[in-house]
Amino acid sequence: MDKPKLNIVGQETRRKDGVARVTGQEKYTPDISLPRMLHGRILSSPYAHARIRSIDARPAEEMGAVVLTWDDIPHVRYNERIITVPSVLHKDHYVLADKVRRMGEAVAAVAAETEALAEKAARAIRVEYEVLPVLLDPSEAIKDGAEPIYDTAMWGTNEIPISGNIACTRNVEEGDVDQAFAQADVIVEGRFNTQKIYHAQMETKSCVCRPEPDGGLTVWPTTQSIHNVRILLGQIFDIPLSKIHVKKVPVGGTFGSSIQMNPPIPICAALALKARRPVRLTLTREEDVHDHTRYAGEIHLKLAARRDGTLLGAEMELVGDIGAHNIQAYSYLGVSIGWLVSLYRLPNVRYHGTAVYTNKAISCAMQGFGNPQVTFAAESLIDELAEKLGMDPLELRLKNYVGLGDTFWGQGPTVRSVVLSDGVPQLLHRGAEIIGWEHRPKPGSQTGRYRRGIGLGRGFHTSSAGAPQPGDVIDFSGAMVKVNTDGSVDVVTALMDHGGGTLEAIAKLVAEELCVPLELVNLAPAETGSTMYDCVTHATRGVYAGGGAAVKAARQVRQELKETAARFLNVMPEALDLRLDKQSGQGVVYVPSIPDRRMTIQEIATRCWTESWKTIAAAVSFRPTNCPPAYVNVFVEIEVDTWTGAVRTVMAAMGSDCGTVVNPVMAAGQLEGGLNKGAGYALFETNEWNADGQVAGGGYWIDAKTAAIGETPRLADFITHFADTWEPTGPHGAKGIGEAATNPVAAAYANAIYNAIGVRFYELPITPEKILRALAAENASDPH
Amino acid sequence: MLPDYDSLAPATWAEALAALAAQPDVVPIAGGTNVVVGMRAGELRGRTLMDINRLPELHGIRVSDGHVVIGGGTTVAELLASPAITEHAYPLHQAAAAFANPLVRNRATIGGNLVDASPAADTYPPLLVLDAEVELVSLHGVRWLPLDQFVLGVNQTERRPEELLRSVRWPLAPERSAGLHHKLALRKGTACSVMSAAVRVDTDQLGRCTAARIALGAVAPRPIRAHEAEQSLVGESLTEVTIRRAAQLAGQACRPIDDVRSSAAYRRRVAEVVVRRLLTAVDLELKEGAQA
Ligand SMILES: Cc1cc2nc3c(=O)[nH]c(=O)nc-3n(C[C@H](O)[C@H](O)[C@H](O)COP(=O)(O)OP(=O)(O)OC[C@H]3O[C@@H](n4cnc5c(N)ncnc54)[C@H](O)[C@@H]3O)c2cc1C
Repeated sequence: MDKPKLNIVGQETRRKDGVARVTGQEKYTPDISLPRMLHGRILSSPYAHARIRSIDARPAEEMGAVVLTWDDIPHVRYNERIITVPSVLHKDHYVLADKVRRMGEAVAAVAAETEALAEKAARAIRVEYEVLPVLLDPSEAIKDGAEPIYDTAMWGTNEIPISGNIACTRNVEEGDVDQAFAQADVIVEGRFNTQKIYHAQMETKSCVCRPEPDGGLTVWPTTQSIHNVRILLGQIFDIPLSKIHVKKVPVGGTFGSSIQMNPPIPICAALALKARRPVRLTLTREEDVHDHTRYAGEIHLKLAARRDGTLLGAEMELVGDIGAHNIQAYSYLGVSIGWLVSLYRLPNVRYHGTAVYTNKAISCAMQGFGNPQVTFAAESLIDELAEKLGMDPLELRLKNYVGLGDTFWGQGPTVRSVVLSDGVPQLLHRGAEIIGWEHRPKPGSQTGRYRRGIGLGRGFHTSSAGAPQPGDVIDFSGAMVKVNTDGSVDVVTALMDHGGGTLEAIAKLVAEELCVPLELVNLAPAETGSTMYDCVTHATRGVYAGGGAAVKAARQVRQELKETAARFLNVMPEALDLRLDKQSGQGVVYVPSIPDRRMTIQEIATRCWTESWKTIAAAVSFRPTNCPPAYVNVFVEIEVDTWTGAVRTVMAAMGSDCGTVVNPVMAAGQLEGGLNKGAGYALFETNEWNADGQVAGGGYWIDAKTAAIGETPRLADFITHFADTWEPTGPHGAKGIGEAATNPVAAAYANAIYNAIGVRFYELPITPEKILRALAAENASDPH
Repeated sequence: MLPDYDSLAPATWAEALAALAAQPDVVPIAGGTNVVVGMRAGELRGRTLMDINRLPELHGIRVSDGHVVIGGGTTVAELLASPAITEHAYPLHQAAAAFANPLVRNRATIGGNLVDASPAADTYPPLLVLDAEVELVSLHGVRWLPLDQFVLGVNQTERRPEELLRSVRWPLAPERSAGLHHKLALRKGTACSVMSAAVRVDTDQLGRCTAARIALGAVAPRPIRAHEAEQSLVGESLTEVTIRRAAQLAGQACRPIDDVRSSAAYRRRVAEVVVRRLLTAVDLELKEGAQA
């Protein structure tokens, strides 16, 4: 398709919030301080599984603290994340714990004049616990006779029993799987294990809450969705939404950790309502580390193929460790099979997913929402299959991948759309050329201390969870665009910027549509009362869905500019066009055949003002009817030190098909970050729990092992490249990028390690230790 | 979150020593990078913190009388920036460079590292191979202890509660001596050692080893010297054979544990590899020195 010429989108520009962020002037939630504000602290459980016998709050109250216990909170069970439609939403969470199910769970909370007093008061509260056996391993938790973590939970409006600690299950069957396997020439199979890791977002979860005289609340939370926080607070505290004002506050990174309304928010609200004063509550790092992780689980995957490499079918079984609460287990089970069938054309599939409760930090979406796990399994097996078939792994991928014209249901069985833009062949060939794919060694052919290997991982993420018909995932957005009296433009959106430049992109898309310079587009401060609903900035949907809404609004404004100018110029609106006049630095509305028949946007807006006419503006809702794949592939060349087991990244080439590249520098930054996070996940990052259910290392970052800047390959050895594509359903041809950038990385490392030393790993992280152990097993003699 | 605590800020050295002598619950705090972490985890309840950062007696790096002498309050960042350390204590310079991250290095002190005495404390192995001694001072007097005798076990040292660690010193190395340090961790910055090692070899004019020091961190309840490995090198030239044997002996000297950073088996295994690499590199350096 012929791509229209773009003026602003795709240019390198300076971030609007850049100066504030790098000079420390940006105000995050913990920086907010209100008159008469109290300081909140939670009393976290020192046990991972316990019944609460009694709470004596008097010692804290005698110190002058306001104390919140079970008796003070509304006994409403809710789910912190309301992206899943209410009818299939599981709810097992209260504002404070009814029973302790993980270490660090909030049992009570206090608010006091100073943080030190709050801390002291929280420690003074006396709690009697009845300690219960701690379940850390899903395979133990589902055994007969295992201590039940829950008796019941809500599913929709029904209370359902929970047995065997199974939170939910999901089965999918399409085609005839038994026949596919019976007809197969080759079958490959593996059991893949992945670990829980901490999001390691820079800002810990935080909230400031002010009770209002009318019984309402104003809230400054750490969140990815101001509207869902508002809805949930309304439901829990029974306050009309018109009285709840949730402000959009810059967030210090999330990686998915604040898709849900995180625990400090309702606790802070309840404290503020009880104290009748503003309260601020910020988690410590140790508390935050115990609060959330990526989903972990075991994936048993089987693929059937014909001798020519055509995939015939797959069977997948997933047992997921969801930790102490069910935030989105049902969706997680759904998307997990969605990721698989949208990676490769698998006409026949059978899937069984089980989500199991354990007494560990709560699993929630983290960069990829189950996708890195499934892609690790699938991309490892595809390499094994290629080897069995004697095929080039790259050719096998090209033969089977879900691409142009194929049906795609990445976000689960109910979210189906057709692929309309596909840069996969370009990306694969370009990456292969950069890394020297042709010259990769034969697996296991090397001897000597240092062994090099090249590996490929291919993946994608969906841009949004949109589809032609509503499914079990809520996904729509909104935006307001208005032209000010001087011709500058306000964009009002509920979308959040987690650091990747989402809002910057939205400003650029609007500037492009209205032909105004980017400096004249303002990202207006926003809150729930002043924005159209948006579900949440997640699912790689910020640019695609949020930007899509903004462009839809801008398109209406563009039309109104033409109609208004038509009256002033006495021409037909259809005869008018817009362009950016670089000389005047202004957008102009003009008649192409009569060059002097023109008005700048400033002139139009000023005249609308002085002639007491109107504000040119539009407010829209936008439902994406597609969720196009943002494809990524990564080639890594690594070097294994067979003496220490250490893996060094020699070179990497990562290619992205995000449609139109809106912010080239930030898009490259997304890929660099994705590689770094993915490499940590692949090679060394893990959260382990001791038998009591405490995160090993106590929740200090020193042992969290999140990849840091030192682990990034030198940028000279890390090439990023972009496909030349245009997504017809996207804003100015754009799709998403963020999560896609990390999804295939672990698989690429596993494949590269196999290529270097001839050993395949089915468990992440592939630590130096595991590599040494495997080499020792291969070669019992001393490999020195 | 920090609990409430009382604090003292003595203006003079004498005041500091007096406070320590008078109140057994006083805990000195230097950079606080161990103390504060401990307090957050609920340790040191009801203790009084005494800020010792402003005492001039604890600062300064000088070379005199054939020794390098550094104040106990010297920060790791200061070590890293000091030309005297680079010249006279290269393994310590390397340990400082691999220590934590720039923020922590600005606060963390050598005194705190030695007194905290974690098995993984990174300044121990280099100081052990440099033959360092520590100076302990109280109202009752001054005593010097070889570092190897100062450290006893996990977070245990010979320091008495009323003593401050005023300085650390070590003799300048003889000619034809070279030393190196290496830290193995699960990532490059802000990481505790999986294991670490320092070696130093002194040689005669013929290139034969007259004395060797091999020290290992995070492989036993305290940082250790691998005496048998050291002995095996004395009188020998460094060759592939002697290096390999010494490295094996060093590996056997380890008494590691399994923990969140690594298994015991892996520690023992990589200790051997790292010592071998260090001895090989030291040998190269000595040979280059001889040619120059
Ligand atoms: C994020 C992080 C990363 C870290 N990384 C590393 C690392 O890579 N390598 C490593 O070895 N350590 C590391 N540590 C541990 C710590 O930084 C070091 O042990 C540091 O040297 C301690 O020094 P300090 O001045 O902060 O000690 P403090 O915490 O102030 O004190 C530690 C102990 O020493 C006592 N003390 C301090 N000074 C004196 C003195 N002059 N006389 C008598 N007693 C004294 C104190 O009473 C206390 O018992 C890390 C810590 C953190 C928080």
